[in-house]
Amino acid sequence: MTGMAIHAKGLEKRFGRNPALRGIDLSIPGGSRVALLGPNGAGKSTLLRLVAGLSRPTSGHLSIAGLGAGKPAARQKVGLIAHETFLYPHLTARENLLFAGRLLGVPELGARVDKLLEEADLRHVANRTAGSFSRGMAQRLSIARALVHDPAVLLLDEPFSGLDGRASAKLAERLSELRQDDRTLLIVTHDLSRVAQVADSALILLNGRIAREIRGAALTSESLETLYAESTEGSP
Amino acid sequence: MRVLAAVLWKDLVSEWRSRERVVAMLVFSLLVVVVFHFALPGGATARNASQAPGLLWVAYVFAALLGLNRAFSIELENDAISVLALAPVDRGWVFLGKFLANFLILGAVQIVVAVVFAVFFQLDFSGIVPQFAGIVALGSAGLCSVGTFFSAMAVRTRFREVMLPLLMIPPLLPVLAAAVEATVGLFTEGKVPPGSLQLLLVADGIYCIASFILFDYVLDG
Amino acid sequence: MTTAHANPSPGRALRVSGWILLALGLAFAILVYSAPIDSMQGVIQKILYVHVPSAFAAYLGFAITALFGILYLWRGEVRYDQVAHSSAEVGVVFCTLMIVSGPIWAKGTWGHWWVWDPRLTITLLLWFTYLAYLLLRSFTEGSERAARFAAVYGIVGVLEIPLNYYAIELFGEAAMHPDNLERDSLGDGMRWPFLISVLAGFAAFAYLLLLRVDLTRRRAILEEALLDD
Repeated sequence: MTGMAIHAKGLEKRFGRNPALRGIDLSIPGGSRVALLGPNGAGKSTLLRLVAGLSRPTSGHLSIAGLGAGKPAARQKVGLIAHETFLYPHLTARENLLFAGRLLGVPELGARVDKLLEEADLRHVANRTAGSFSRGMAQRLSIARALVHDPAVLLLDEPFSGLDGRASAKLAERLSELRQDDRTLLIVTHDLSRVAQVADSALILLNGRIAREIRGAALTSESLETLYAESTEGSP
Repeated sequence: MRVLAAVLWKDLVSEWRSRERVVAMLVFSLLVVVVFHFALPGGATARNASQAPGLLWVAYVFAALLGLNRAFSIELENDAISVLALAPVDRGWVFLGKFLANFLILGAVQIVVAVVFAVFFQLDFSGIVPQFAGIVALGSAGLCSVGTFFSAMAVRTRFREVMLPLLMIPPLLPVLAAAVEATVGLFTEGKVPPGSLQLLLVADGIYCIASFILFDYVLDG
Repeated sequence: MTTAHANPSPGRALRVSGWILLALGLAFAILVYSAPIDSMQGVIQKILYVHVPSAFAAYLGFAITALFGILYLWRGEVRYDQVAHSSAEVGVVFCTLMIVSGPIWAKGTWGHWWVWDPRLTITLLLWFTYLAYLLLRSFTEGSERAARFAAVYGIVGVLEIPLNYYAIELFGEAAMHPDNLERDSLGDGMRWPFLISVLAGFAAFAYLLLLRVDLTRRRAILEEALLDD
């Protein structure tokens, strides 16, 4: 099915014997913002890595903007922000972005990098090595890195972990800015209080299956917490 | 090609800033040379020069093992290897970029070690420097292709320091045997036996092509 | 539902190969016992009946490992990896048997435990390669990654064989290995015992391989059952 930013059918991933995902059916239209929730080991990160093309499904179908996931052309469509920053400590902020841009074949890279540094509020430290950055700065640079090729789909894996209150508020703000572009966001998070701010709908994953879909008014933190507790009750 | 150049540039800039790999490899391989002096009866002298090519290659392999282990552990530091894996091209190009960077970094170390060897073992390099460089480049290409490929695997196992030599030495032996044979021929008779050159070329070719194709599976998460 | 259940009765093949092995093993014992004693080498020559079949079984094991490694990378199905892994383990057992039985014979016949004969050298390298293969598996976290890395290494392991052969041909010492098959140098009355011992070797290989694959599958089913609870 084309027209969908992310489309999965019967998606399975097992690590040898252990099933991490057992049959995911998913259709995320372009421009929507979806939060992926669930306890540890539910398969959230596995799903994200499959969408990013970092690993291959054991069976089932997965496409990104109509392109088979894992194919080079599909990797071009996604940006990934994880808990790890993916930065090279000996390269400067600018060089890290230049490197990512060259790998992705971004046209007019210099101007693009300047713009991203500006947006990330890192212009003044553009020539400092990433190794000297605070966690918050590194996270901002990491977001800029993921956006360097202006991807249609942005994947975020626990972006709030390890950030203090201020930095995490700033990140949430940055993420809501991103909604203005017609970009699809898929966010894995534990932080239920942020969901309403960064997403329009939420999927709860349990034991490798989608257990529940929540949208609209139910996304506010209190009702979300009740629903989440209901869905995950009795699971480890 | 774009990706190859980007990876090569990134690795060389990183290495230039830290210089950690070159320095560690250099100090270590010079130490190995000193150890050879004590291990040989009569020490490192012209009398033992016939053994020098073999020992030189042993020093090169040790240096390479040390450097190659670092080559991918720097990628793991912030899980930056994911950026390489996300590159929207055939991942073989990433391999070639890393391979070339390792080749150049090892080459810098090899030059210094060769000079020290020549001094310690009273080797006569006059008139054979280009041939010697050619042999070292061919041997080193095999060393770095096998090494780069397996180091991407080894760093993601437990016991990574032990795993790399265990993995890479058996496939490396033909390259090593041919390189030593060629170097001995050059120093004793002034010419390189053609069979060893052939073997070096064939082995380099096979390993580079296999690594280029199979690297896709190694870089997967 | 899973590949582990897809083949519910490896038991039958296992039983059949077990009976074949038993029959061939008996024939092997009788024939080797009654085979003539070599006039020059003495009774030690009978090591041949263990040594050569082990060699064949080991080579077969490594070839299967590479082949199923390729299949695994291509199709991504766990059962191919199970066969590749099992085959490498069984291959290493036979390779060890070959490497241990060889020097015992060599000490008696050549006067040295070890010579750097081409075939010995190659075999030693193969042994190291597949030990590295098994170590790689046990040191890699996550069985999916272990399977992928191992498949890749198994392929490289086969690629290095011709290169090593070529290297040893070029630089190694002269071959001392007897070419029993090519030169038809087996003595009178030795041919049948030899043939049966080779067949018994293959039967032993097949039986152990099936046993090992069966074990892996049972383990997979059990782990899955535990996980579902």
